[in-house]
Amino acid sequence: MFCLSELEDTVRVPPSDLNLPLEVAIKKALQKLFLDKVLSIGLCVSIYGIKSIEGGFVLPGDGAATYKVRFRIVVFRPFVGEVIAAKFKESDSNGLRLTLGFFEDVYVPAPLIPTPNRCEPDPYNRNQMRWVWKYGDDEFIIDDSCQIKFRVENISYPPVPTERAEDAKPFAPMVVTGTIDDDGLGPVSWWEACAPISDDED
Amino acid sequence: VRIRFPSLVHSAMSGEEEENAAELKIGDEFLKAKCLMNCEVSLILEHKYEQLQQVSEDPMNQVSQVFEKSLQYVKRFSRYKNPDAVRQVREILSRHQLTEFELCVLGNLCPETAEEAVAMVPSLKTKGRAHSDEAIEKMLNDLSLVKRFE
Repeated sequence: MFCLSELEDTVRVPPSDLNLPLEVAIKKALQKLFLDKVLSIGLCVSIYGIKSIEGGFVLPGDGAATYKVRFRIVVFRPFVGEVIAAKFKESDSNGLRLTLGFFEDVYVPAPLIPTPNRCEPDPYNRNQMRWVWKYGDDEFIIDDSCQIKFRVENISYPPVPTERAEDAKPFAPMVVTGTIDDDGLGPVSWWEACAPISDDED
Repeated sequence: VRIRFPSLVHSAMSGEEEENAAELKIGDEFLKAKCLMNCEVSLILEHKYEQLQQVSEDPMNQVSQVFEKSLQYVKRFSRYKNPDAVRQVREILSRHQLTEFELCVLGNLCPETAEEAVAMVPSLKTKGRAHSDEAIEKMLNDLSLVKRFE
């Protein structure tokens, strides 16, 4: 979910921005430093506001002014156990990849997809595998036809790689592992207009 | 991509809140941050977007991809659109001895029955907490009365 976090940090305003009103210059510097970055408290999606600005000293040899700033940011911060609504992005033999638009590193590995299921080549997309859940006599394809709810099982923060291969996937500083194998989870169409289940099933 | 660790400032939280968070085993950092529902974030980001529009002719140049996509997400996954409704939702949920986390999950997912609510937020039924199915149904009923569009 999203959280409002208060932070204190040292901000450098470059000489080129010193003619701007102070709050505007500081906000610009904060956006450059924090927007779309993963911090220990989450992924920063917006600067909320500045609470206080102190300093403005120019250090020897530096043309920029340095300020101590207290400010608040809006972060996206998933919690283990939290149920989140997402959309299908792609799938392969390892499992599903879901997206929130602003954050695209949510993975549902095969063991967290309800069983029985099967993985087969996607007839509509040569490069993809698709997952199909079998429930009774019905089969449900997992695709982008509706919203998918997942529960956060784990969040990891891989270390920044020191070397990258030419064709390596873009680095993901935060990776969420989710499950769709539980009541109310998975594509929402699985739960809409649910007929009551008789007692001797399941 | 850079990862920064500025110092976190401790904000004052009541003793009761700390106890509940411990039960949920969410961790200390949760205590220092205020959780927001998607509908609240939607109001915040829309307001910021409007401010930018007033300042420049092409606001999307200034607004980064992550801001735009976050706004898209919270607009899509918010049931309540106008500020009064959003305020009412938080008021109603605040009356029911929920932690900030539980309040936001319920406000985001809008379960229709007590059973759904407990499936989304199992901690509602943690031993020692007084959330009967009747109490949960009453809360969901109050929520359903909030006018979504005015």
